[in-house]
Amino acid sequence: MSLSTHAQARLPGWLHDLLERHLEEELELPILPEASGRLVTLCEDEKCDVQAIERVLERDPSLAAHVLRIANSAAYAPKEPIVSLHHAISRLGLGTIRNIAMGSSVQGKVFRVPGQQTRVRSIWVHCAVTAAFARDIARKLRRNVEAAFLCGLLHDVGRPVVLQATVEALAHRTKEPLPVALLETAMNEFHGPVGARMVRAWNLADWTAAAVAHHHEPEKAAPFEDEARITALADELSYWALDERRSPADFQPEAELVEALNLYPDDIEALLAQRGRALEFAEAFQ
Amino acid sequence: MSAAEQHFDVLVLGAGPAGHKAAIQAAKAGQRVLIVDREAAPGGECVQRGTIPSKTLRESACYLAGLRARSEGVIEVSVPAQTQVASLMRRLRAVRGHHEDYLAAQLERNGIVRWRGRARFLSSESVEVRCPDRSLRRVRARFVVIATGSRPRQPEHVPVDHEHVLDSDSILSLIYLPRSLTVLGAGVIACEFASIFAALGVEVTMVDAGARPLAFLDPELTSRYVQAFERMGGKLLTGRKTEGVRWDGSAVVTRLADGVELRSEKALCALGRVANVGDLDLSAAGISLTTRGHVPVDANLRTVVPHVYAAGDVVGPPALAATAMEQGRRAMRHALGLPLHEAGEVVPVGIYTIPEISGVGLSEEEAVKRYGHALVGRARFEELARAHINGQADGLLKLVADPAGRLVGAHIVGEAATELVHVAQMALVGGLTLEAFVDNVFNFPTMAEAYRVAAIDAVAKMQVATKAAA
Repeated sequence: MSLSTHAQARLPGWLHDLLERHLEEELELPILPEASGRLVTLCEDEKCDVQAIERVLERDPSLAAHVLRIANSAAYAPKEPIVSLHHAISRLGLGTIRNIAMGSSVQGKVFRVPGQQTRVRSIWVHCAVTAAFARDIARKLRRNVEAAFLCGLLHDVGRPVVLQATVEALAHRTKEPLPVALLETAMNEFHGPVGARMVRAWNLADWTAAAVAHHHEPEKAAPFEDEARITALADELSYWALDERRSPADFQPEAELVEALNLYPDDIEALLAQRGRALEFAEAFQ
Repeated sequence: MSAAEQHFDVLVLGAGPAGHKAAIQAAKAGQRVLIVDREAAPGGECVQRGTIPSKTLRESACYLAGLRARSEGVIEVSVPAQTQVASLMRRLRAVRGHHEDYLAAQLERNGIVRWRGRARFLSSESVEVRCPDRSLRRVRARFVVIATGSRPRQPEHVPVDHEHVLDSDSILSLIYLPRSLTVLGAGVIACEFASIFAALGVEVTMVDAGARPLAFLDPELTSRYVQAFERMGGKLLTGRKTEGVRWDGSAVVTRLADGVELRSEKALCALGRVANVGDLDLSAAGISLTTRGHVPVDANLRTVVPHVYAAGDVVGPPALAATAMEQGRRAMRHALGLPLHEAGEVVPVGIYTIPEISGVGLSEEEAVKRYGHALVGRARFEELARAHINGQADGLLKLVADPAGRLVGAHIVGEAATELVHVAQMALVGGLTLEAFVDNVFNFPTMAEAYRVAAIDAVAKMQVATKAAA
């Protein structure tokens, strides 16, 4: 199965093929060193409670993903598939979550690509803001808030993996800094399917994989179009919110998307009014 | 930008059960009809978030509960731990899709024009519709039917966040079964969800300030419901007022007036519904709401403005889909001067708890009040062969007749109650007596046999009373 979304393919053919082969291999989501350190410190604190761990996890897609992956693994053999962060925490309890969190911080692959950590950091901030908006949209639509939040948080998990793979694939060809446009193209092209493949490998729910795979084309996410649409709108809101220059009038979501979600202009205005809260949410641990 | 005002004979606001039936009735009478709804698909809350979705979940729960009952312990039946509500609701998409298609096709077949948008009265004759794309349209009609439905009430002391504290809409989006659930309220919706989740193995606590759940029903029926609920592990706290609800980071804490705190993984707020009238600007049409926020109407569903009618949940109780459909139809027939039958006591009530509860006509208390005396016959489901075959031997059918033996009411608790009740409904329409049930042969074994058992019981009592009097 091809991993790229060919509609947007603009990569040189040789690089496209190289990445496609590389990304077919077992993938691991890298963790930023400071996030890993933050969680270790937290878990080492005897007074640390489950809410404190949850607060860290729900703002960092890589840590959240690692905890969910391990929680769903044979090692912990949960009685039911874990489908959200809160679900993991309520079913596994503080001690287990602490062990998992500590394990994923210590054993997870750390993101070490010189010059690209800022980029990954900004991707994670975008994901956290997307998750916050997805939660608001789900509340408005009476859809599942936990599911929407997780879809938003993980929707771009493929990006840093593609980024790292691209950098590694080209490392032996050139010593020059890689063109930003090339990296962006590679991420745009591969992040959806790569992210979805990882989410499936972590045994997360089908709707999470569908939203991650198709948040740029929700109509392809059947039967989880609505989950993908909520993620898509939250994604647009996040890009808007993080760009200080853009006013509410500048937010022009895709008409088809808004119509399919049955959101009216006052609903959109109410979502735009959450900008400050969404940014605060994401920045709490930055 | 506003377009020129368009003219229709009938404008129906809302495409739920009441609005849909009003529109169809008007179109069948040759009227040019426009129906406006905020949703893309017809059906209203009933199809999107209410009746049909919750009954789909109920069917899954009943299937498991029924399997457990029929197996008599031969096979171990429990909800597998990995069962997610989402998978129990898997059929919902198909069921809802079929119903939406059917409703849309029916509207189209009858030449009814549909607009998607939110309506607002500009005057009693003129309505503005705001469409999702921000465009505005104006419409004028000879008759207007307000059928915009209702939504769950959110009391100030219950912060519904749709994540930990849910309402009857958002509970249907659960992606995993909570271990415990506190249900606030003891009305129809509260009792339905409490029993569904108890049947699925969730630890359910239902709390209400009232003395008993479903207080408008015959106490014999509600006590059977309570027994069944408690047998499934449910806990009922009546006469207990809720002071506040909060999410403390690990559990939902429900604080009662007596100081007791209940902790649960999720809570469901089912403390009534409010009419969807906020956007309508009814004052522009000259209509004021009742103190409970409903649109006041007369027996023919007409508001104080003679050409404006209202039907369904916006006019208040009983707020049931079947009643709403009849109200919509009746409103339109009255508006158009078509013949009407008496607004009657023959509309059944169906409550989709586990077990089901249903009734039609007068209760025993109402019959005594009206006739001074009432004949009552009972059939306990344990007396029915079919009930044992089905593993559903817990139930009761109660027939109420006037002193001359003419049936005036029937009340049922038990599986298939909402289907069984229609036998009594037709008997009421036909003015049948208890003897009709005694003298006629029913299929054996069937649940309908309960009618014969109950009628024999009532007739026997009547004969004893007659002998005693002689």
